[in-house]
Amino acid sequence: MTTAATTPEMDKRPSLLRQVRDALDLVFSSRTAMVGLAIALFWLGVGLLSLFWTPYPPNAQMFSANQPPNAANWMGTDHLGRDIWSRIMAGTQVVLLKTRLSADPPIVIPGGVAIWGVIGAVVVGGLLGVNAGYRGGIADQIIMQILDAFIAFPVIVLYLVIVTSLGRGDLIVIAAITITGSPGVARLVRGLTLDIKTRDYIRAAETRGESKWYIMLREILPNARGPILVDAMLRVGYAIFAIGTLGFLGLGLPPPDPDWGSMVNDARKYIYANPLAVAWPALAIATLVIGVNLFADGLREEIMRYQR
Amino acid sequence: MAKFLVRNLFSMFVTMFLVSLVLFFLLEVAGGDVTVRLLGVFATPEQRESLRRQLGLDAPAWQRYVDWLIGSDWRAQQLSPYPLTMAPNPQTGEQEWWTEVDGVLTRWRMVEGELLAIQRTPDGREVTSPASVPWTTDETGAEVFWGVDTRNNLVKWVRGSDLEVLVLSKAGVRSERGGPQQYIPLRKGIVRGDAGMSLQTNRPVSATIFSRAANSLILAAAAFVLVMPLALFFGVLAGVNEGKPLDRIISITGLGFTATPEFVVGVFLILIFGIWLRWLPATAVFLTGDAIFRDPKILVLPVLTLMAAEFGYVARITRASMVEVMQSPYIRTAFIKGLPRRRIIFRHALRNALMAPITVVMLQINWLIGGVIVVEVLFGIPGLGSYIYDAAIFGDFNAVAAAAMLTVLIAVMTRLIGDMLYTYLNPRIRFA
Amino acid sequence: MLSSSRTTKTLPVLQVQNLTVAYRTRKAEIEAVRKVSFDLHRGETLGVVGESGCGKSTLGWAIVNFLGANGFVRNGSIRFEGEELVGRSEKDLRHLRGDRIAMVFQDPMQALNPSLRIGEQMREVLIYHRQMRAEEATERCIQALERVHMPDAAGVLNRYPHQLSGGQQQRVVIAMALLNDPALLIMDEPTTALDVTVEAAVLDLVAELRQTLDTAILFISHNLGVIARICDRVLVMYAGEVVEQATVRELFHSPRHPYTQGLIRCVPHLGVDKKSSVLYPIPGRVPRPDERPTGCLFSTRCQYVEDRCRTDPPALRVLSNGASVRCHFAEQIDPTAWAPPADVELAPAVSPPADAETLLFAQHLKKYYRVPGASLASMIGLGEKRFVKAVDDVSFSVRKGATLGVVGESGSGKSTLVKAIIGLERIDGGALEFMGVDISGDLSKRTLDVIRELQMVFQNPDSTMNPAYTVGQQIERPLRRFKIVPRHQVREEVIRLLRAVRLNRTYYDRYPRQLSGGEKQRVGIARALASHPNLVLCDEPVSALDVSVQAAILNLLMQVQRENNTTMIFIAHDLSVVRFIADYVAVMYLGQIVEYGPVDALYSPPYHPYTEALLSAAPVPDPDVQLSQIRLEGNVPSAIDPPAGCRFHTRCPRRTLMPDGGRRCEIETPTYQETEAGNRILCHLPLETLRSLKPVSDVHSGR
Ligand SMILES: Nc1ncnc2c1ncn2[C@@H]1O[C@H](COP(=O)(O)OP(=O)(O)OP(=O)(O)O)[C@@H](O)[C@H]1O
Ligand code: SF4
Ligand code: SF4
Ligand SMILES: [Mg+2]
Repeated sequence: MTTAATTPEMDKRPSLLRQVRDALDLVFSSRTAMVGLAIALFWLGVGLLSLFWTPYPPNAQMFSANQPPNAANWMGTDHLGRDIWSRIMAGTQVVLLKTRLSADPPIVIPGGVAIWGVIGAVVVGGLLGVNAGYRGGIADQIIMQILDAFIAFPVIVLYLVIVTSLGRGDLIVIAAITITGSPGVARLVRGLTLDIKTRDYIRAAETRGESKWYIMLREILPNARGPILVDAMLRVGYAIFAIGTLGFLGLGLPPPDPDWGSMVNDARKYIYANPLAVAWPALAIATLVIGVNLFADGLREEIMRYQR
Repeated sequence: MAKFLVRNLFSMFVTMFLVSLVLFFLLEVAGGDVTVRLLGVFATPEQRESLRRQLGLDAPAWQRYVDWLIGSDWRAQQLSPYPLTMAPNPQTGEQEWWTEVDGVLTRWRMVEGELLAIQRTPDGREVTSPASVPWTTDETGAEVFWGVDTRNNLVKWVRGSDLEVLVLSKAGVRSERGGPQQYIPLRKGIVRGDAGMSLQTNRPVSATIFSRAANSLILAAAAFVLVMPLALFFGVLAGVNEGKPLDRIISITGLGFTATPEFVVGVFLILIFGIWLRWLPATAVFLTGDAIFRDPKILVLPVLTLMAAEFGYVARITRASMVEVMQSPYIRTAFIKGLPRRRIIFRHALRNALMAPITVVMLQINWLIGGVIVVEVLFGIPGLGSYIYDAAIFGDFNAVAAAAMLTVLIAVMTRLIGDMLYTYLNPRIRFA
Repeated sequence: MLSSSRTTKTLPVLQVQNLTVAYRTRKAEIEAVRKVSFDLHRGETLGVVGESGCGKSTLGWAIVNFLGANGFVRNGSIRFEGEELVGRSEKDLRHLRGDRIAMVFQDPMQALNPSLRIGEQMREVLIYHRQMRAEEATERCIQALERVHMPDAAGVLNRYPHQLSGGQQQRVVIAMALLNDPALLIMDEPTTALDVTVEAAVLDLVAELRQTLDTAILFISHNLGVIARICDRVLVMYAGEVVEQATVRELFHSPRHPYTQGLIRCVPHLGVDKKSSVLYPIPGRVPRPDERPTGCLFSTRCQYVEDRCRTDPPALRVLSNGASVRCHFAEQIDPTAWAPPADVELAPAVSPPADAETLLFAQHLKKYYRVPGASLASMIGLGEKRFVKAVDDVSFSVRKGATLGVVGESGSGKSTLVKAIIGLERIDGGALEFMGVDISGDLSKRTLDVIRELQMVFQNPDSTMNPAYTVGQQIERPLRRFKIVPRHQVREEVIRLLRAVRLNRTYYDRYPRQLSGGEKQRVGIARALASHPNLVLCDEPVSALDVSVQAAILNLLMQVQRENNTTMIFIAHDLSVVRFIADYVAVMYLGQIVEYGPVDALYSPPYHPYTEALLSAAPVPDPDVQLSQIRLEGNVPSAIDPPAGCRFHTRCPRRTLMPDGGRRCEIETPTYQETEAGNRILCHLPLETLRSLKPVSDVHSGR
C-alpha cells in the first residue's frame, strides 16, 4: 500500500452540484460565451413571457396599417395593422418553444421546431456516424457514400425539394432539419469514433466479448458527448437560420402563428412605405442566431484551450 | 495521383446516381398529385386519370425513373415500327420528336377514328394526309399502331376508337377527341441533356435552365472572386494574431456575418443603400438578357450580400487552420531556427494552413448556391436560384429535379477540384 | 560545483540564476520551474533528469524564451555568453536562435515541416543568419549531413520529411541544429521517440559530436541510462526544483539526495541476473503544482522525512564532494545502509514449477494484413495481392504459471501476436491452442468461457480506462458480464480486487481523470484480473510510465501472478524489463521469432546476432559500464517484402563471420539451432561461432 497513497481531497465522487458549477465556470470564463448566452436567454425569456402575455394579441388587426414606432406600438404596425412587437415576441414560440403536431385538433408539444429538428439530426447522424466509424470497411463506405449524396445538395435546395414534395408543416420542417443536419453530425461522430476506437478501453471491451452495440453506445458515445453537444448548439443556430430563410421564401412554418421569416417576407412588399417593419424581424433572427453561435463558439474555444 | 483521380471520379459518379434517386423519388413519388396543380382542385377523377396517362404517370416508378434518367426513346423504339428522330421546329427552333417514314419526317393525329399523317416537307411546311400504317393486332384483338403524336409522345392508337382526352396547352385545358390509348412521353433523359418539359411553361427545361445558370454564375463568380482574397487575408491575419484584439474583431465580425441569414443582410443593405441613401437600385430589373452587362450597378447589392455570407465562413476556417498550424512543432522549429516572423508565416505556415480552407471552401460552394437562391429571390434576378425557387413553388418537378441536379453537379465538381488541389499542395500524397 | 578544470578559466556559456518559470492556467498560475541555478561551460554536457512533469522541458524552452502564449519567466536571470537573455527583445533573441543557440526536440517527424524539402529547411538557417548564397549554403548542408553520417547527403536535400525514416529525420534535425556551430545546443529527449537500436546509433552520434565540437550541450532526458552515457554533469529535477547537481560519476556512485537514490534503485539493470534483481519503487507520485507541500517538496515521498522537512524548505547546498543537494540531512543519509521500507511491494523470488502443464501452444502461426496496392489495377482488385507479414510462422508454448516475455523493435509483430492470441485478429494460418481448446478463430468464434480465461493489460495508462465511468463501474463490468460473483456481492468483489492491486476502497467512486498514470494501470490490472483469467497478456504495460512507478507496477504484476498462479505473456521493447519479469523470452524480428528460450540463457552467448545488437543498444544507468558497440545499420525493412533468406541479413553485423562471407544468408532461410541451455536460435552461423562472441557486457564488472 504505497504508490497509491490517498490524497484526501479526491475521496469523493464529484457531486452533481460540483459538476454544474464546473460547467458554469467554463461558460463564465469565456466572455464570448457569456454574451451569447445572454442574448439567447433574452429571447428564451421573451418567448416564455409571450406564452402568457403580449402587449396585444399577435394576430389582431387592431391598428392602422404600416405605422412607424409610437407609444402604443413600440415597433410600429405591419401592413395589416398588427402590432409588430407582439408578433415578434410570439415568433420565438414556433422556433424554440412549441411544435404543432396537427392543426385540427390542435396538438402542441413543447420544444420548438429548431430544437426537435436538431435532436433528430443528432440522433440519426450520431447513430450513422458511430456505426460507420466503428464498423469500418464496407459498412462505412456505404453509409458515407449515401451521406455524401445528401451533403452534395446545397442545403436550401434540399429544403426546397423536401418542402416541394412533402408540403408545409412543423413536422416537415423538423424532418428537413433532420435530413439536412444528420450528414454533418454523422461526419463529426464518425471522426470522433475513429479516434476513440483506437483507445485501449475499447480493446478491453472487445476482449470481454462485448457486443458491437454495447461498445458503440456505452463505450464510445459517452466520450463523444462534449463535441456533439457543442455541435448541436451550433446546429440550433443553423436551424433558426434555415427556418427564417424558409419563412422568407414563403415555404416556412404554416400560419397562424407568427414566424419571423414570413414577417420579413410580408413586410418586404411594403418596404418603401414602412422600412422598419422589415428591419425588426430581421434583427430578431440575426441576434438570436448570433447569440446561439457566440455561445457555442465560446464554449468550444474554452474547452479546447484547456484540453490538456 | 491517377488512382486518386479515378477513385474520386467513381465516388462522384455514385454520388450523382444516389442524388438522382433521392431527387426523383422525393419529387415524383413522394410528391403530391401534379394533376391538382395543373387542373386545379375541381377537375373530375376521369379528367385527372386522363392527364396522368398523358404524362406517363401510369407507368411504374422505376420505369419512370429510368426514362427520366437515361431516356425513354430506347424503349419507345422497340414499339415503333419506324425509326424515331429529333428535328428542330422551323419556327421556334425547339427540338421535336418525329419518326422517319421512307426518309420523310412524319407524325400522326387521329381525327374521328381516322389516323392522319403529318409530314414535314424539306422546305419546312407540314402536310397532312390520311395515313396508311402497319396496324398490328394486340393481345385483346384490337388493331393498334404505335406512332409519334404532335406533343412528343409515342402513343398507341387503336383503330376506330375515339377517346376523349384533355389537352393541356399554353392557352389552358381543352378537351379533344381522337386520343390514343397509351402514352410514352419521349425524352432523352437527364444524363443526355434532356430534362423533360417544364410543367409550368410547357417548354423544355433544358432550353431555359442554361441561360438562367449563366446569370447565376456571373453573380456567384463575382462574389467568390471578390470575397476569397479578402477572407483568406483576414483569416490569416486573425490566425497569426491569435487572442489579440485584432483577432477578436475579425473573428466576431466574421461570426456575425455568417450567422446572419443572407436575406437579413440583403434586407438591411437594401434599406441602407437602396432606400435611405438611394445610392443603388434596391432591386434588379432585367429587361434584357444582357442587363447585367449594361448596368452592372444592379449587381452591387446582391454581390455584397453574398460576400457577407461567404466572408465569415472562409475567414473563420482560415483562422482556425492558421492557429493550428502556428502551434505545430515544425513552426516551433522554425522559430527556434531564428527565422524572421515574416518568413515563418509565409514560407512555413501559410501553405500548410491554406490546405484545409481550400477543401472546405470548395465544399462551401453549397453554401454559396444556397445564398444565391435567396439573393436572386430577394433582388429579382432571373438566375438558376430563382428558377428552382419558382419551380419549387409551382411543383414543377422536372424543372426542380433538373435544376437541383445541376446545382449538385456544380457542387460535386468543385469539390473534386478542391480535392485535387489539396493533393497537389500536399507532398505527402503527391510523393507517396 | 565546478567539475572540470577548463571551466574555471572561462566564462560559462550559459549561466542560469534563480530562474522561476510559470504558466497561467484557468485556475491559477503554476510555477513549473522554481529557483533553478546552474552554469554550463564550453564543451560540457549537462544532463537534466527527473520524472514527467518536473519541469525539464520548461527549463529548455525558457532558455530560448519560447514558452507559448501562457508561459513566462517570473523571476531570475539567464545569461548567455555573459549577456542577459531575460527581457531581451524578440528581435535580439531571433539572432541568437538557430545561430548561437540551437535546439533539438523529441519527435523528429513533427519537428520538420511536412511540405518543404529538407534542403530548403536547412539552407534557410544559413541564408538568414549568415547571408550565404544558395549554392554555398547547399554545400554546407551537405557537409553537415555528412557529419551526422547521413548516406546520400546530396540526395536527401531534395526529399520531403516523410520520405525519410525516423532515425534519418532526427539526424537531419541534429545536422540542422549544428549548421552554424552553435555555442549552446539544447536537446530535449532527442531519442525518446526512436527504437532502441536507432536510439543507440543517434546517441553514438551525439557522443561523437561531443568529442569533436566544443559546443555546450543541455541534454534533457528521463532515462538514466541515456544520461549516464552522454553527460558530464547532471541536474536532478523534482517538482520544478533542482534537488541535486553533481558530476555523472558522483551522481551514479554516491547519490546524495533521497530522490536521486530512489531513481537509481528503481531502474532495472541489465547486468543483474533475474534471481537477485529487485526493483524498489519510489512510493507516491510527483505532487501536482497546486498541491505541492510546504517545506521539502519531496517530503511526501521521502523515507527519511523528519518534522523539520515538512515545514522548512531545504536550500540547495554545496557538499564537500562538490555536489549540491537540496536536503536537510544529505550528510547523514547513507545510501549503502538503506533498507527497503516494510510496506514497499517487492517482487517475489519464486520461480514457476518447471514441469507445469502447457497452457498455450502456438505452431506456425501466421497473420498477414492485406495492403492496398498503389496501382490502378489493384484498386479494382486486379493487381497482385500484397501482404504485410506481421506474424510469419511463429511457434512457441507457455507453461502454466510461467511468464513469456516478447521483445522486438516496433514493427516486429509483437502486438499483432498478442492480438491474435486474444482474438482481436483472425489468424491466417497455423494452430493455436489454449487449455487444449482450439482458439484459432477470432473473438466472435470463442465461447464466453474462453474469453473469460484470456485477459489483457494495456500499454497507455491514459487510454486504458474509459473516462466516462468510475473505477468501480469499470471493474464491475467483467464481474457482471462473466457472472463471476452473485449480484449482491459485486461491490465487495470490486473492493477486494482494488485491494489486490493495492488501492483502497475510496478509489471505487473516482473517475479516471482523478488518477495518476500508475493508478490507472493498477485499475487496468484489477479489471483484467476480475474474471480470474488463466492467461493475462500485457502489452508494454509500463513503457508509458515513469521509472519510479514502473518498478511498482512490475512488482505488483509479479505478485498477483504468483498469488493466483496466473500465466503471463509480457511484451516489451526493453530487454532489461523483460529480463526482470520473464521466465522465457522470445525475441522477434520482422514477424519471426529469431531467438527463444529460458531467460537466463538468453543474456549470455551464444546469442542470435540480433539479440546481441539489442543487448548492446540498451542504455545502462551506470557511467562506468562500457557495452560493446554492436550497431545495426539502416532501419527495420518493410514487412511487405521482407528480405529473402535470413530476414536479418540486410542489417546483420555478424554476417561476415559466415564462411562464405554471408552469401548464404541472402538466399537460404535459416533453421532453428538448439543450444545446450535450451535456446533456439534462428541463424546459419554455427553455434561454436556464436558461443565464441564476446559477451556484450561483462555482467559483474561494473558492480
Ligand atoms: N503550456 C502549459 N500550460 C500550463 N501548464 C503547463 C504547460 N506546459 C507545461 N505545463 C506544466 O508544467 C509542468 C512542467 O512541465 P514540463 O513539460 O516542463 O515537464 P517535463 O519534465 O518536461 O515532463 P516530461 O518528462 O513529461 O516531458 C507540468 O506540471 C505541466 O503540466
Ligand atoms: S529534506 Fe527531508 S524530506 Fe526532503 S529529501 Fe531531505 S530528508 Fe527527505
Ligand atoms: S543467418 Fe546470417 S544474416 Fe541471419 S542472423 Fe545469422 S549470420 Fe546474420
Ligand atoms: Mg518534456
